[in-house]
Amino acid sequence: MTILKVLLRQLLLRPATNCFPAKHAPKSVSAFLARASKDTHAVTPPVPVPPGFRGKIAYEKDKCIGCQLCVKICPARAIEFLPEEKKIRIFVARCCFCSQCNDVCPVGCLSMTDEFLLSSYDKYSEDLIVTG
Amino acid sequence: MGIDSLKRALWIYHVNTGSCNGCDIEIVASLTPRYDIERFGIKLVGSPRHADVLLVTGPVTRQMEPRLRRVYAQTPDPKVVIVVGNCGADGDVFHESYNLVGPIDQIIPVDVYVHGCPPRPEAIIDGVVKAWLKLEGATTKETT
Repeated sequence: MTILKVLLRQLLLRPATNCFPAKHAPKSVSAFLARASKDTHAVTPPVPVPPGFRGKIAYEKDKCIGCQLCVKICPARAIEFLPEEKKIRIFVARCCFCSQCNDVCPVGCLSMTDEFLLSSYDKYSEDLIVTG
Repeated sequence: MGIDSLKRALWIYHVNTGSCNGCDIEIVASLTPRYDIERFGIKLVGSPRHADVLLVTGPVTRQMEPRLRRVYAQTPDPKVVIVVGNCGADGDVFHESYNLVGPIDQIIPVDVYVHGCPPRPEAIIDGVVKAWLKLEGATTKETT
């Protein structure tokens, strides 16, 4: 009897699939992207990220005091110190999203955003190097 | 047939070149009903000879380097190489290991990088969209 109940409930449920970015592959991807840039409803949003998610790093350049603690603690050595201006820049292509730099920063100028759709043709492109 | 059939349904061969299995789990997660990339006609195949796309994860270890070259040579043209995870893009936390022969782009040409450690399944789908765009010849730098 239990299985009948489960079967009946399954009939009424909607599919669990999150249709990001569209239900099926569009005929032309570039036309779909052009449509998506005009109308935000054309793209199904991705599954919401959990609280405390660690995405791409954000850097507030004005707050930074140039102490280099983040450069020392980064396990992937993704952070480069710029000696002329005593600021840093972060290579997202090397980052391991561990958030240790955020914890060690004495002035809290680094934070993790929710942005995770990070794909590129060039790993050193401008939007993948965080300069603040 | 030809390039059109390649654009419609990409068949993927997954190569693990010494990854920690985080990215591999995310690739399998994107095949589960929650994300379901098979609705785009994308499926994992068991041989590089059947594949249109090489999905490469991991920094390349010394043992895997000749194997990766062979798998790339076995994939029929036209083919796309998608690197999943920051290990393959830049070495990530393994970058100074004695046993690595550098990131994947020093071994085989790479078309699309998916960044993350590991990337979420949607980020992998986003990388596939970029690969589709590249196959359509529209390699503009617009974000998806």
